Order: sequence, then structure tokens, then C-alpha cells
Amino acid sequence: MLRLRNVSRHIGGIRAVDDVSLDIPPGRITGLIGPNGAGKTTIVNLITGMMPLTAGSIHLGGTDITRAPAHRICRAGLARTFQNMRLMADETVIDNVMIGFHRHDRCALPAALLNLPSARRMTATLRRRAAAMIAEFGMERFAGFPAGGLSYGHQRRVEIMRALASDPAFLLLDEPIAGMNDVEADALAAIFRRLAAEGRGILLIEHDMRFVASLCDHVHVLDGGRLIAGGRPAEVLRDPAVIAAYLGG
Amino acid sequence: MGQWIIAYTPLVDLFLLHLGFAYAQYIVLRAGVFSLATAGLAGIGAYTAGVLAVKLGAHPALGVAAATLAGSGAALVLSLPLARLRGVYQAIATVAFVQIVYSVNLWAEPVTGGAMGLNNIPRTAGTGVLAVAALGTLYLVWAMERTRLGRAFNAIRQDEAMAATLGVDIVRHQALAFALSGAIAGLFGALEAYHAYALDPGQFAFPFLIAILSYVILGGRNSVAGPLIGTAILIILPELARPLAENRMLIYGVMLILVINFLPRGIADSLILAWRARRLARPEPAAGEP
Repeated sequence: MLRLRNVSRHIGGIRAVDDVSLDIPPGRITGLIGPNGAGKTTIVNLITGMMPLTAGSIHLGGTDITRAPAHRICRAGLARTFQNMRLMADETVIDNVMIGFHRHDRCALPAALLNLPSARRMTATLRRRAAAMIAEFGMERFAGFPAGGLSYGHQRRVEIMRALASDPAFLLLDEPIAGMNDVEADALAAIFRRLAAEGRGILLIEHDMRFVASLCDHVHVLDGGRLIAGGRPAEVLRDPAVIAAYLGG
Repeated sequence: MGQWIIAYTPLVDLFLLHLGFAYAQYIVLRAGVFSLATAGLAGIGAYTAGVLAVKLGAHPALGVAAATLAGSGAALVLSLPLARLRGVYQAIATVAFVQIVYSVNLWAEPVTGGAMGLNNIPRTAGTGVLAVAALGTLYLVWAMERTRLGRAFNAIRQDEAMAATLGVDIVRHQALAFALSGAIAGLFGALEAYHAYALDPGQFAFPFLIAILSYVILGGRNSVAGPLIGTAILIILPELARPLAENRMLIYGVMLILVINFLPRGIADSLILAWRARRLARPEPAAGEP
């Protein structure tokens, strides 16, 4: 369980995130929706250690990750994608995915410095695993292409592969289908369902209600930094407070 | 033939020495640290080796080892405060470091000879030794590129926050890059001392910093070939004609402005990207064609 308790982030006088408590269970897809500027991305930044909390605590399983640096949080089993994609644009798809394996990229320092056989074997293993993952996502054709030249939808997929490469217990997806057509989105939905079935907990941030409703057991609604509703998608979307927030009431 | 080799030996030696300094600079830039400390670290190495040889009569091998350790040790210490700075602030702090090394060398006259320099260093490093050191450095940089270290340095340089969320320990990797850079700078500083009979504190000051930086920026900061190409051009070019040599710093300045404006990735990286783009643009051969 990924557990947020009374999490706040105040920037100057602005309460970007204010007293948010939510649970992200393993094996489920939990939705987080809300109008633009509600603080959804800030919550992901707080969980992944990219930004310090003003107050509150975050636990991953039994581990307190409230003040842990970002790389430790990754090693504790948490990965994310970025809303504004952050790929290495000039590097190939396979190299972008390979850096996702960093957590498993191990060899002794002298071996790494001199590229001794153990380091070469590690590189070969990771390259194979990255290639297998790219094939699984139906992108073999693009493995040698620079990531920056791919279509929006394909770049999103590379980001998801890179996040999955660390084999995370929890995955935070910040608007993963933005800019995709329905066919691409459906293909991703199937992948997300499979990841949840493998036992991973997923936090899905999205604008597309239909997409969220079709995937999530539980949806939280954020507005002005505060949670204003939570429950089954069908109930939440009927909630007058939620409708008011989306219509700017 | 023999005449030709003798005539060009000083140029080859100069190239091999500066190639080492260029790679010391390249390693930190590759890891995303905007450090210009290489000149100061080389100065520390050169004076460590020089003083050991002149004042204590130490064996050159000992001097080289001590200089390498001193360079990497100083770099590691320097990496601690620099880990809190980014970008242009790192550049300014490291320029200050180079200045401090220069001032200390002037001030510690009884040990370093001050402004008069350190003289009568036995000349023990010939072209062969320089070539071995340069090739060793080239191999290290080339090998590292292909392992977890190269992958992590690459990610840090391009997007530090992204690298951190993928589990890369930024501080540790940058400290390692610093230590390696300091070791290489210290080593080649020692070789410079054992090659040139004398050391002068001004040799490792601001103009040297600019020269080293020019090699990497002209050649390219990403590919391993970059510093090699940059150093070769900037060392050989001034030797083609006397007026060029007299205005070496002017040439470096003009070259830097031109490269930064028209070829910001440097020669090697631009060529590699152009070549890759061409390869990808070529249509795939249809089945059955040879």
C-alpha cells in the first residue's frame, strides 16, 4: 500500500496541495482527476521526492519515504511517467529504455570503469531485456530511432517502458494518454490492466473521464489542492461538487 | 624521415599532454557538472610531482602516483560544495578554485618557487610515456561510456530530475566523475612537470582553463572522439604559421564564438548526428534485393 497522510505543499501563500490523504492499493488502478491546476502533478512530484512536503507523511509499504531523496524512492519500488515527457531526445528508443533498468544495472566499480567482461555481460543482458520489452509494446521497428523523432503516442509508450524497466511495485502515470487516439489509448488500457493484474498498484492521473471510468475501481477528485470527492467512478461523476469543479462553478 | 620525426616531436608531445587535460575536462562535463576546475587540478598535480622531484629527489613513478592521488583527492573535496550548486554557479566557483591554486602557488614561494617558478625538474617523461598515458586515458573513457557509468552520466547530463526518479544517485555519480577528472588532470600535470624541466604558476591559470575548455567545445562534449578532434585541431592549427601561434588565445576565442553560434554540439557530435539522420532517412531495402 502506498499511503499519503495529511500531505501539504504550500508555495508562498498558495496551497498547491492541502491536507491530502489517500491510499493507493496494490493490484488496483486508482484514479486521480481534477481540473487544470488542481495539484495533481504536484502530488506526483511530492510522492516521488522531486519536491519537499510542507507537512504530512508518505509511506510505501512499511517504509517512510516522506523525506527520502528521489533515487531512494525509485529503489524502494516506485516509478513515474511525466506529463511533459522527459525522454533523452537524441538517444535511441532502446537506450532510453535501458536507463530505466538503472536499479538493476550492477557491476563492480573497476569492472564498470574498464568495461571488463562482467560489465559487458550486464550491458548485453539489459539490452536484451529492453529489446524484449520494446517488442512487447509493439515498437521493435523503432528501437534504433532517436526518441525525439517519434510520434506523441509512441513517446508516451517509451516513457511507460522506461518506468516499468525498474520493475516498480507502484506506478504513477501522469496523463499517459494525452495526445493519443482511441486505438492507442485502448492498447495502453489493456497494458495497464495487465500491470495491475500482476499486483502493481497504479495511480492514474487523467482528464479523459471515459478512460478513467473504464479502468479505475476508485477515483479521487482534487480541486484547488484539496480532495473534494472519492469513490466508484460512476458515483463520483454524479457528485454535484465534482460537476461544479469541472464546470468552474 | 628521421628529421621529420625530430622536427615534430615537440608538437606530438604537446598534443598528447593536452589530450589528457581535454579528457579530464570532458569527463565532468559528460556527467553534467559545469566544472572548469581542470586547470587547477592539473596545477596541483604538476606542482606535487615537481616539488617531490626537486626538493625530495623522489622517483618519478612516486611523483606521478602522488600527483594522481592529489588531483583526485582535491577534486573529491571540491565536489562536496559543488554538489549544492548548478550550472553557471558551478562554473564561477571552479574558476575561483583555479585562481586559488594559482595564488597559493605564488604565495608558497619556499616550496613552489613562487613567481620564479619551479626549475631544474629532471626530464623523465618522453614521448613514449606520454603516449602510453594518453592511450590509457582514451581506453578508460571509451570503456566507461559502455557501462552503467556511461549510461548514468548520460542521463544526469540530459535531465537530472529524470535521472533521479529512475534511481540514479546524482551526488555519488558526480563525485565519481570529479575524482576521475582530478586523477587524470593530476596525472597529466605530473607528466607535464617531468617533461618540461620547469613549471610556472601562470601556466595553470585562466588562459589554460580556456584552452582546455576550447578543445572539448570545438570537438564535441558527448562522443569520445570529440576532445581528440578538438585538441588535434587547436594544437596543430597554430603551428601551421608563426602569426597564428603568436595569437593562439585570439584564435581560441574566435573559434569558440564561431563554434558556439554555428556548431553548438561541436564537430564530432554534429557529424555523428548527421550521419545517423542520413542512415535513418534511407529507405529500407525491399526483400529480395541484394
